[in-house]
Amino acid sequence: MHFHDNYPEYEKMAIHGEEEGKKARRVLWNVFWVMLVVTIIELIIGFIAPSKGWTGTFGLKFFFITLTLVKAGGIVLYFMHLKHETTFFKYTILVPYSIFMLYTIFILLTEGTYSMSPRFRNKVDKLYYEQQEKLKNNEHHFENVEH
Amino acid sequence: MSHAAHATVVDEKELWNGGVSPFNLSYGKIMMWFFLVSDALTFGGLLSAYGFMRHRFADVWPHAEHVFVHFPFVKEHIPLAYVGLMTFILIMSSVTMVLAVEAGQRNDKKGVIIWMLATIIGGLMFLGSQAWEWYNFIVGTEEGALRWVWDDEQGKYVQQIVHGANMTVNEYGIPQFANFFFFITGFHGFHVFSGVVLNVIIFIQVLNGVMEKRGHYEMVEKVGLYWHFVDLVWVFVFTFFYLL
Repeated sequence: MHFHDNYPEYEKMAIHGEEEGKKARRVLWNVFWVMLVVTIIELIIGFIAPSKGWTGTFGLKFFFITLTLVKAGGIVLYFMHLKHETTFFKYTILVPYSIFMLYTIFILLTEGTYSMSPRFRNKVDKLYYEQQEKLKNNEHHFENVEH
Repeated sequence: MSHAAHATVVDEKELWNGGVSPFNLSYGKIMMWFFLVSDALTFGGLLSAYGFMRHRFADVWPHAEHVFVHFPFVKEHIPLAYVGLMTFILIMSSVTMVLAVEAGQRNDKKGVIIWMLATIIGGLMFLGSQAWEWYNFIVGTEEGALRWVWDDEQGKYVQQIVHGANMTVNEYGIPQFANFFFFITGFHGFHVFSGVVLNVIIFIQVLNGVMEKRGHYEMVEKVGLYWHFVDLVWVFVFTFFYLL
C-alpha cells in the first residue's frame, strides 16, 4: 500500500545519471582525502605535543578544535549532502544547534566557577598528584618500552 | 517528475500553504535530520560536561597518550595509533556509505549492495576495535597504581595497587576519567551498534528488491544520514578524549 497525497515526489528528485554520478563521486573521494590528511596531521601533532611542552596550551586546543570543525564540516556538508540542500534547510539545522551549543558553553564557563570555591574544592588525594609527577618524569616511557 | 535536482517551481507565497515541502525534501528525510539534531544536542551536552570536568581537574587528569598505548599484535607502546586507526576505519565506512547512497541515486542495485556491505563490515570492525580498547582499559597495565580501596573485612579504606579501571577504582587517575570514558564512548558505541543494525535491515531490504519496487533508494540515504552522524560524533569524541 503506497500512501501518497498530492505532494511532489521528493524521493525521486535526487536520481541522477552516470555522468553526474562520476562528478559526485570525485568530489566525495576528494573530501575523503582531505579528512585523511587532516586526521594524520592531528595525530602527528597529538603525538609530539607532550615532548614539545604544548600540552594544555590555548594554541593546541584552538588548533585541534579548528581541525575538528573542519572535519565536521566536511562530513555534514558533503557526506550528509547539506551543502546541496535549500539554504533555508541549512539554517534550520545549523542555527538552532549552534545557538544552543554556544549558549551551553558560555553558561558552563560563566556560571561554573562555583566548583572552584572553597566549599566545593574537595581535596584530591595526593596519590593522584604523585602519579602525575611520576608520569611527567618518565616522560619518554612510551617510546617503545616494554612494561 | 523532472530529473533536475531541487528544481520545484513554486510561488514563494504558496510555499507554506501546504501541498509542497518548503525544504524541497521528503518528510522522512526532514524528520531524520531533526532527530539527528536532537541526538547531536545530547552528545554536545555530554561532551560539554566532559570538558568542564576535565578542566576542573586539569592538574590530575590522565594524559591520553599515556593511557591508550596498545596496538594489536605489537608489544611496544604506541600512543594514539590504534585510536587513529579506528578513526580511519569509521571515516572509511562513512565514505562507503555515501558511495552506496550515490549508487542508489543512479538506481544501481549492485553498487548499493557492494558499498553497503563494506559499510557494515567497517562498522563491525569499529565495534570490535572499541571493545578491544575497553578491554585494555579495564585490564590495565602490569605495574598498576596505588589507590584507596574499600576493604570490607577491615571496614575502612586501605591503600592497594590496582590494575585497570572499572566503576569503583581507576589506575590511570581520578575516577571521573574512567566514568566519562565508559559513558561517552559506550553511548557512542551503542549508536554505532544500532547504526549497524539499521544498515543490515536496509541492506536486506535492498537485496530483496524492496527499493527497486519503490523506484527510489531514499531509505538508504536516510540510514546513511544516521551513519554519518555516528561518524561525526566520533570525530568530536576522538578530539576531546584523545587529543585535548
